Amino acid sequence: MLAFVLRRLVGAAAALLAASVLIFTAVQVLPGNAASAVLGRNASPAAVGILSRQMGLDRPASTRYAHWLKGFVHGDLGDSAVAIAQGSNHAPIWHLISGPLKNSAILAAITALVMIPLSVALGTLAAVRAGRPTDHLISLGSLAAVSMPEFVVGSLLVAVFFVGLHLLPPVAIVPPGGDPLSHPKQLVLPVVTLLFASMAAGIRMVRAGTFEVLQTEYVQTARLNGLPERRVIMRYALRNALAPSVQVLAQNLQYLVGGVIVVEAVFAYPGIGSQLVNAVQIRDVTVVQSVAMLIAVVYVLINLVADLIVMLLVPKLREPV
Amino acid sequence: MTDGRQADPGAYEEGDDEHALSRADFLKKGAASAVGLGMVPLVGGLGNAAASMLPEGVSEAEIRRGGTLRVGYVGGGTAETINPSVGVTPIDEGRIQAIFDPLVLLNADLSLSPGLALEWNPNKDATEYEVKLRPGVTFHNGKTFSAEDVIYSIHLMAKPTSAALPFVSGIKIRDLKAINKTTLRIPLKFPDANLAANFVYYNTWIVQKGEKNFSRPVGTGPFKFGSFTPGQQSVFKRNPHYWAHGGPYVDSLKIVSISDPSARLNALLSGQIDAMAQLSYAQAKAHQASHDINVLVSHAPQVLMFYMDTRKPPFNDNRVRLAMKLIADRPALIRDAISGFGTVGNDIVGKGLTFYDNSIPQHTRDIPRAKSLLKAAGREGLKVVLQTSDVIPGFVESATLLAQQATAAGVTIKLKQVPASSYFNPSLQYLKMPFAETQWPPSSLKFFYLQALAANAPFNETHWHSKSFNTLLFKAIGEPNHRKAQSYWNQVQRIQWSQGGYLSWTNADFVDALSKKVKGLKPSAAGILGNHRYQDAWLS
Repeated sequence: MLAFVLRRLVGAAAALLAASVLIFTAVQVLPGNAASAVLGRNASPAAVGILSRQMGLDRPASTRYAHWLKGFVHGDLGDSAVAIAQGSNHAPIWHLISGPLKNSAILAAITALVMIPLSVALGTLAAVRAGRPTDHLISLGSLAAVSMPEFVVGSLLVAVFFVGLHLLPPVAIVPPGGDPLSHPKQLVLPVVTLLFASMAAGIRMVRAGTFEVLQTEYVQTARLNGLPERRVIMRYALRNALAPSVQVLAQNLQYLVGGVIVVEAVFAYPGIGSQLVNAVQIRDVTVVQSVAMLIAVVYVLINLVADLIVMLLVPKLREPV
Repeated sequence: MTDGRQADPGAYEEGDDEHALSRADFLKKGAASAVGLGMVPLVGGLGNAAASMLPEGVSEAEIRRGGTLRVGYVGGGTAETINPSVGVTPIDEGRIQAIFDPLVLLNADLSLSPGLALEWNPNKDATEYEVKLRPGVTFHNGKTFSAEDVIYSIHLMAKPTSAALPFVSGIKIRDLKAINKTTLRIPLKFPDANLAANFVYYNTWIVQKGEKNFSRPVGTGPFKFGSFTPGQQSVFKRNPHYWAHGGPYVDSLKIVSISDPSARLNALLSGQIDAMAQLSYAQAKAHQASHDINVLVSHAPQVLMFYMDTRKPPFNDNRVRLAMKLIADRPALIRDAISGFGTVGNDIVGKGLTFYDNSIPQHTRDIPRAKSLLKAAGREGLKVVLQTSDVIPGFVESATLLAQQATAAGVTIKLKQVPASSYFNPSLQYLKMPFAETQWPPSSLKFFYLQALAANAPFNETHWHSKSFNTLLFKAIGEPNHRKAQSYWNQVQRIQWSQGGYLSWTNADFVDALSKKVKGLKPSAAGILGNHRYQDAWLS
């Protein structure tokens, strides 16, 4: 079991290293550097030269990569290139993104807390009622929801709950350093939008898994032994059905990390997604690099945890190969 | 009034014994003369004119004080700043307007009036100015405003990375001198009869001597700094000691970054903000009809243009350039590309500004003449590539429409879309495109011509190089006599109109929105959201 965990850890580290190279290279490929992006129309060669030197952009790419990676590993994300170019002498990225990061985490956590039990419940219900109207309703409904992009779902929800019913606020403005939870009403539409887009895959996977298990001989045996259906499902079917679903739910969580980007823009929610979009637009290379890398870390971590959970659920995996 | 202008007594605030021309007075006289008047008074004695006055037709009793005014702008992430001398976007302008003051105020009708500087006294050939500053103005920290602060600010503007560089490039920076606390000597590299006009734009607003990183900026403006989180929001508190009359009336001002246009509008509709910058044209049309919010439309000199490289074929032949100007159906472009929010452009820049030549006939669509010009130039069935970008609303739309309009003259325009981030960046695409689009927000004719058409102009989009034109331009800039200067400026503009590489199809309006409870904020040709003058606003 320890070997398994170790193997997974090494794999995760390798994936992150590869991601860091990819991210750094991708940012370099963007046309123009941060200095010229900040200067915009005033980006005369002389001005670009001066700012590039100030921002350390004249050093070779390999040096900058090493410096960035070393800082990142030590928890130092560096300074925002654009803020420095705009005349600040100190603009730590961590300081800029810690608030938005917390806001996004809150949004994703609430969504996950609703999504996971709901996916399992609806998926199981659909499996138990396979072929009946409940099953069709759940399957069709979740398919329809996942087919719509977030900005469409978000706009539709705003149209219904703000323009039509005047029930919920259409944007979620949280003051810097403020707590999004202090205005729970503002969170409803963003969370529901995220649920719409992320739940379908989970529901379908749980349904498929549970349906398959319900056809197995040991479930039939349990039923023939006269165990109540409720106990058959909860005790014997679900546990085995969930193993493949854990991976899918983990994917859903990872999707949330990306999905919040669009949803945050639609609802003006001050999270990490809005920060990333802004940073890309103004070509704040250091912020883009660090935020992208943080998101990669979250992805890899979720995968790792999911693998461990699957291992706990499926005893076979715990035995040495 | 020292120079024989009339003042409208009705425009004075009660108990105000200072001299000021009201906006109504200016408007009554029509744009051309009003603008002409606005320019002259800053040369010579002006008196202690009051810069801020009560909005027209409003008495002090109607104004409700207090509350927080919340304004939503397009955010700029970490690029947002309070430093005036770096590149600023509208949200930064809003903050600069709150904290700082300019030497010269650009009024809603584009006339000028005294800000922190009261008088601009040139020597005989306009190569040196003695500037008298407003006495008794204090910074938010209690320090008295003086000539040293202005000198320090001009030094910031003259840094090579400063966005204000074009405004001070004619100044001999090292020879700036404070004669006393409120008098300043500014020596120039070339004659400039209207130096005051250089000091209206946000990049040139005045900061306190010694200001370095603007982490807790101190200014003389209507609001004091509270807090600033780039990309999210900033908060300002009312300055009770503001030197101008009346405002601010609200206790605090909150500037919020909301980049998504529909989220910004939703925030306004739901009452989470009170005002928003840059309403989209389509949304503006809808809400003008529904009356649920006030759509603030200002006719502005912000000009949208196509430009042609006058040195590269086929546009090095003026007959081809002229043909393009005659192909454009400008009213149709305005109607379809910017939903009618603009007035027709005439291939010169600065409508409404001092020295703009209103007597030049309007270029209109004339396909037969365009065809014969192209034939004479040997360019029948011309095929060109037009580079466009979604960097400014209306660019891609107008380019698409122009391409359709051109087919009538047998001209094929192929569109090529350039990423927004490269389009105006000279280290990338900008100034390398033979046929493209541009937008200018000029604050004076001089500003535009020095930047775009003079010898060594940094943004010479049309690659215009003409010695005789340049001589004429600097004559116009340096001529102290207003009538003579106007005649030089008219010649400059006629040359551009008949030979230049600009096809200016519209002066586009500023379109913003206010909730019904925001009062006192009036349309302004000087900037969006009533030129961000929140010191004039109150909440009913």
